[in-house]
Amino acid sequence: MLRPSLAAMAVLCLSTGLATAQSAWTGGDDLPTNPLACDGTPATPVSVDYDGGEPTNPPDRAGKAITVVDVPKLIGDGYFDATSKGIAEATAELGNMTATTDGPVEANIDDQITVIDNYITKGVDGILFAANDSVAIAPVLKKALEAGINVVGYDANAEPDARQWFVNQAEFNGVAKSLVDALAAEIGGEGAFAIVTSTFTTPNQARWISEMAAYASACHPNLTWLETVEAQEDNILSFNQANTLINKYGDELKGILGMTSIATPAAADAVTQAGQCGGIAVVGLATPNAMKPYVESDCVKSVVLWNPVDLGYAAAQVLRATADGTLKPGDTSVQAGKLGELQVINGSEILLGAPFVFTKDNIADFDF
Amino acid sequence: MTARGFLRHETILALLVLVALFVLDRQSDRFLTVDNLFNQGRLMTEVGLIAIVMTFVIVTGGIDLSVGSILGMTAILIGVFWKNMGLPLPAAIGMGLVVGAFAGFVNGVIITRFKVPPLIATLGTLALYRGIAEGVSEARSVRGYPEWFFVLGQGELWGAPTQLWIFAAVAIVAAVVLAYTTFGRTTYAVGSNEVAARFSGLGVDGAKIAIYSASGLAAAIAAAIFVSRVSTTRSDMGTGIELDAITAVVLGGTSIFGGRGTIIGTLLGLVLIQSLKNGLSLAGVKSDGTVVLIGAVLILTILISNLVHRDATR
Amino acid sequence: MTVPAPRARRSSVARFVAAYGQEIVIACALIALFIVVSAINPRFLGANNVNTIVSGNAYIAVAAIGMSMIIITGHIDVSVGALIGVLATISGTLAVSGYPVWVAWTAPIFIGAAINGGVGALVAYGRLPSIVVTLGMLSILRGGLVSSTGGAWINDLPPAFQIAQARWFGAPAPIWFMVILTVLAFLWMKNTAFGRSLYAIGGNAEAARAAGIPVERRTVQVFMIHGAFAGIATMLFATQLRVIQSTVPPNLELTIITASVIGGVSILGGTGTVIGSTLAAVLFAAIGSAMIFVNVSAYWLRAVIGLLILVTVLADMARRNREFWSNQR
Repeated sequence: MLRPSLAAMAVLCLSTGLATAQSAWTGGDDLPTNPLACDGTPATPVSVDYDGGEPTNPPDRAGKAITVVDVPKLIGDGYFDATSKGIAEATAELGNMTATTDGPVEANIDDQITVIDNYITKGVDGILFAANDSVAIAPVLKKALEAGINVVGYDANAEPDARQWFVNQAEFNGVAKSLVDALAAEIGGEGAFAIVTSTFTTPNQARWISEMAAYASACHPNLTWLETVEAQEDNILSFNQANTLINKYGDELKGILGMTSIATPAAADAVTQAGQCGGIAVVGLATPNAMKPYVESDCVKSVVLWNPVDLGYAAAQVLRATADGTLKPGDTSVQAGKLGELQVINGSEILLGAPFVFTKDNIADFDF
Repeated sequence: MTARGFLRHETILALLVLVALFVLDRQSDRFLTVDNLFNQGRLMTEVGLIAIVMTFVIVTGGIDLSVGSILGMTAILIGVFWKNMGLPLPAAIGMGLVVGAFAGFVNGVIITRFKVPPLIATLGTLALYRGIAEGVSEARSVRGYPEWFFVLGQGELWGAPTQLWIFAAVAIVAAVVLAYTTFGRTTYAVGSNEVAARFSGLGVDGAKIAIYSASGLAAAIAAAIFVSRVSTTRSDMGTGIELDAITAVVLGGTSIFGGRGTIIGTLLGLVLIQSLKNGLSLAGVKSDGTVVLIGAVLILTILISNLVHRDATR
Repeated sequence: MTVPAPRARRSSVARFVAAYGQEIVIACALIALFIVVSAINPRFLGANNVNTIVSGNAYIAVAAIGMSMIIITGHIDVSVGALIGVLATISGTLAVSGYPVWVAWTAPIFIGAAINGGVGALVAYGRLPSIVVTLGMLSILRGGLVSSTGGAWINDLPPAFQIAQARWFGAPAPIWFMVILTVLAFLWMKNTAFGRSLYAIGGNAEAARAAGIPVERRTVQVFMIHGAFAGIATMLFATQLRVIQSTVPPNLELTIITASVIGGVSILGGTGTVIGSTLAAVLFAAIGSAMIFVNVSAYWLRAVIGLLILVTVLADMARRNREFWSNQR
């Protein structure tokens, strides 16, 4: 019994040494960052050429009825439930488009590729997608383009030449700025905080963390990042991880950043149950319904997100416009039904808008 | 078991496959086309390779839950060897295969030398190998592979998808080995009655180590194909593939208690599952419905097969 | 030919150690872990943290009680994670639909027992291997959950529902559940004919049948009990937070199986106790927390845990092999 215990001890010591000092925050990716200006002056838009893909010999779909499949990261998730509602709203309004939402039961690349592949074989006119991995999904999307199918993405991008357009809910650096500013506003410019994310391999979360690190080092250099923990997509695990952070750092921890709609409510619940509301700020991305109890009890001051229903709605509108030919490469804006005119940025991305901050004043108005 | 007993389950399964193909073909005219069939073969190869070797593992009465993690670990290491260590890509892939086989070898050693039951041993290595994949990659992906590499997963060779040739080769070799060689007979003997096999002088431990190493190697080959098919590496690749492979093997008539099973059965099981996944989708059933149906098919098939041979064990 | 001298009777301490070896190893590992990590960061031993570790993971220990019984009987259940996900959704739906809270708590117990009773019947009377049935069940439950809920989470749970947040006599409710259920199950397994019959079936089903034990009926019953424990675990799982995700918690079945197995329940059937599985569940939770306290690089967490599992298992096998050889003398 002594030997295995010594072995276990050795393993523990060895792995502590593996905690290398990293200048960037754990959980970020290695792509270049582009932080916004600290005072909110928008960056001068750089005009970029259209870099999206093109379908090969698409049939003329202008004005005709089309069938579309929506393939989110996974089905059985509240967030994509909301985007699906938005898509349904758009198809009801448009009248000449039918959309089915079908996706993998778990968020992995293989199953998502299989679903898309099946629909290519079946023969659809358009594909809407939210990618589990931007590179892995590219081969099957290119296959769709070659089959003359219109391809538009939303929420999570693919490589530009694998799709025609991508409806971006909010720029990564915009989300990063909103989150870090909200955090700094609550804990002051010098507080210490930790991050709870889903997994390190989820592309959007990794991008946000990198952008947050870049923005914080430029505009709030005295904020101290403590650590990042993974909590999969499991809300009990998120809760336990948040509690562990609270226990580990005690008074030193002033804030927790939640990176997903699962992590943020769980972190808020952990702070509430630990009696630390007001002592530890919880800021993060989450759907308003999940956060209502905490915002109403003043435990959480602000929740950052965008409207996923609007996102789905916009994606469906963009697909219709693409199929009709009213949205072409080189256009600088597109009419998206009730959302009005949306701008084209970064060549082939369509921006939904700025990140939305839900607070006690407005959270009751939303139901998703 | 008599030869007649052996064939019964596989025959029932073959009939089931034919019925399924017929029904699904009626639902959609895009199902039974050469293009679609080749495409399904492409999508099925990774699970298929693992399932073929898993047949050997389960016939010996063991199980290997770590294959998904070995796949993920090998995929990451191929990327690391190529990009971070600068090896030429063929060498990186070769090294990856060696690592995969070694990972399987370690499984075999833990099972034979330390006598840890295979379920527990591979449960532990499942976590360990996945952890190594995550740690080494630090959740970064490796991309930007040269074009020629994509021929493996996305391209064609002599008119059929490249990976299908590899799959066919492995399937044929495996079927021959299991049915006609001494090694195959040893495998069955170990599964039927390990103690008797040992006393008969058969190299039980050697056979087991070879089989688990082969399982790791199959996972590594699947990893190379997968990376080529999706043009990137991720540390979560292959999660859950072990359950898919085990489902196919068990569906194919291999007894989980060992001693019984054929490669043909596993292939039929793979074909049935893939046809259902594809055919149902073409017929308009969504993913959640397909998942439920496959679960039901698994239970019903084994139930029917058991009811047909009344003398089924336990 | 002389008769070999009878082996000297071993002391009762030695017999106790031999019988409960694995449980003792786990308990020692747990104590050692607490000592080492609190030396590095004293807050590890703080009341809040011990509470987080034990209370936050009590549901795993409770589910592992049922799983241990299944494994002792020689079977396995890989669908328990999906079952808990389904039961949690049912529980939450009942709670927000206006049913009294106690209905929302107890309905999953009966539903879990019923569903698993079906599984048990297929295993016992259909003669299907448990891994096959539960693999199929896993798919059915998972797909069924998505189909029926469409992924909508359940918010607006009534505060009275949150039993996991209650405190009784100074300790959180989940800890009471865990400890009381473990002790009761342990005594029951050891001292009742039913409990002992499970060990007999796991050891050698044919011999058990010859001894008059109704093997098929017991099998169905033990699966039903396991389903009921999954229902109780759901009570703790679903009431911890104010929102219920209607998805299958990832990897839950592996965690529960690992807790049972590391806790000493032998996959070959026939040995092990639920005390071991509960201790192992706590040990895993403690290790997970310890990794954060000790600053193990987050990227290497999984690998370290995997290595620790293997080390524990190898140590256990080495101990059993030594036991086996020493018994031969």
